[in-house]
Amino acid sequence: MFDQLVISGLASGSLYALTAVAVVVVFRNTRTINLAQGDFAMIGAFLALIFLKDFGLNYYVSLGLAVICCIGLGFLVERLVMRPLADSDWLTLFTATLGVYYILHGVAGWFWGRDTKAFPVTFDPTPVHVLGTIISEGHLINMAWVTGIGIVLYVFFKYTKQGIAMRAVTDDPETAELMGIPVRFIVFLTWGMAGLLAAFAGVLIAPIIYVAPEMMDEVLIKGYVAAVFGGLYSIPGAIVGALLIGVAENLAGGYLGAHYKVATAFVMIVVLLAFRPQGLFAIQRRREF
Amino acid sequence: MGEITASAAAARPKRDKRAVTALKARFVRHNWTLVALLFVVLLIFPLLPFVESWMVYQGSLVIVYIMAAQGVGILTGYTGLVTVGHGGFLAIGAYTAALLMKFTGLSLIPGMIAGGVMAALFGMLLGLVFLRLAGAFMAIGTLGFAFFIGSIVNNVPIFEGRTGISLPANTVFGLEIDDFGFYYVALMTLALITLFIHSLMRSGVGRAFKALRDSDKPAESSGVNRVFYRTLAFSISAFITGVAGAFNGLIVNYVSAEVYADIWYSVDLLVAAVVGGSAMLFGPFLGGFFVAMVPFFLDELADFAFILKGVVLIAVLVLAPAGIAGVVARPFRARRRRLLDETRGPAQTVEAEEVQS
Repeated sequence: MFDQLVISGLASGSLYALTAVAVVVVFRNTRTINLAQGDFAMIGAFLALIFLKDFGLNYYVSLGLAVICCIGLGFLVERLVMRPLADSDWLTLFTATLGVYYILHGVAGWFWGRDTKAFPVTFDPTPVHVLGTIISEGHLINMAWVTGIGIVLYVFFKYTKQGIAMRAVTDDPETAELMGIPVRFIVFLTWGMAGLLAAFAGVLIAPIIYVAPEMMDEVLIKGYVAAVFGGLYSIPGAIVGALLIGVAENLAGGYLGAHYKVATAFVMIVVLLAFRPQGLFAIQRRREF
Repeated sequence: MGEITASAAAARPKRDKRAVTALKARFVRHNWTLVALLFVVLLIFPLLPFVESWMVYQGSLVIVYIMAAQGVGILTGYTGLVTVGHGGFLAIGAYTAALLMKFTGLSLIPGMIAGGVMAALFGMLLGLVFLRLAGAFMAIGTLGFAFFIGSIVNNVPIFEGRTGISLPANTVFGLEIDDFGFYYVALMTLALITLFIHSLMRSGVGRAFKALRDSDKPAESSGVNRVFYRTLAFSISAFITGVAGAFNGLIVNYVSAEVYADIWYSVDLLVAAVVGGSAMLFGPFLGGFFVAMVPFFLDELADFAFILKGVVLIAVLVLAPAGIAGVVARPFRARRRRLLDETRGPAQTVEAEEVQS
């Protein structure tokens, strides 16, 4: 029972991880908590649905197109909304992304309706035995995707020029600017990366839940909680936080009853913040809120 | 001799003119003028001939939102703390009043005070627990609180979850009141709260709040007790929102988890504070009106309401960072500055303006 709950908790946690990482990537370069992150993913899922169903395209092609569109969406939001506000205080940036959230929500509801739609690619429920527990093949495939994205991100941040520049902007934007790093362009890229991660999150989660304007609300909030768990600056921290939340809520759901599943993440975050206000994996750094 | 009298006669009207300008400057305070004007409008609104009962009911809802936004404004505006959890305090106020009414038969006014006090206790607790948080951490912490309260009212039997608690009609001093009576009770409370916030922000407590907002470390080192004032700000803010919550529950004689477990209340209240401009007395009036009326006008077009809310929110942030109230206040501030310039000369005006804000 315990092993089983942990394994399926890891499966759902890995889906929160994509959102959590995107929240961290945007926050540490722009001081912005992107509340529209979930809606980027929702738009991605809707677009993939259209490419699959109405255009009859192949799954991978649809995924690729959704990813490209979401990157464009990230760029668009940066240019139109976030750049004019770049020098504002923390609360302004936060509420601006809330505005983007409202707009994307409304647009999706307007174009595609409020009712939930099934994603045409079915989730593969074939059971697979792993270390004495059972997990469905669909979950395994998702976990493989997420691991792959994690490796690509690691290589990107460690070895590519853009990735290193992004980390430099995180550490100290002023010095980075003085060293000739185009900070504005890096911030622009950061939003594109948020779009990319969102598209994957949306398309991978769509077969498990459904496609609707509010499909990602819960995932977004859990991703945000996970990011705070990791201290908001650390990508590995966000991933660990996401897995932790996935496992904890599954255990709470299994042992205490389904009612308690939803509240788990919040009880965890309130307790954590009361005792460790900087998150689990905080790095000592200059904070500007 | 004749010359002296002539100059004295010339000087006197001049001094009088100065006194008049100074008096004018006193009255051109956007806060008082606009808020008083709004209260006059709110006072006569139900008496207009074409106004029907449901409009008065909607008016009460607007008042409730204004009150709740005032509570949020104490934190986001005056103290510089963010909160996405005031839906939780709204729920605490509503359920306290409802349960007391159900089990002890308490009426509207004591119920609303009890709701406020209970919310203030929770606010104090939350303020203490989150003492070291700021920014993004504070936002998720308070959001977690709202979720937590939501799942409690959903799951603990006494709150009767989604079935909800139905209540008898409202009474004040033993007399049953209708929508009109309720409206005036709410309006009176709003006036008291507005007066309270106005005087609070002019007192030492208000200055301590603002000092912590503008520069917390210097404020602390010059003797402002951060723990005390932060917790106090949380309690006062929660009290006001709790009172609003009690009204929100009693206006329909019904509270249920369907309404109060919804975290969008919390987000709406933050939007109200930001759109209106929360560091000004006038701000929550505009923000509360906006948030309460958008779903009312666009009930059939829910998607369009979402888009409108988002566009207005972003437009306000880009064009009027101090909220709509900041824009409204601008001509008043300019005129006041001109008048003060005339009376005292520019040097003192700057100082006077700083004390003002």
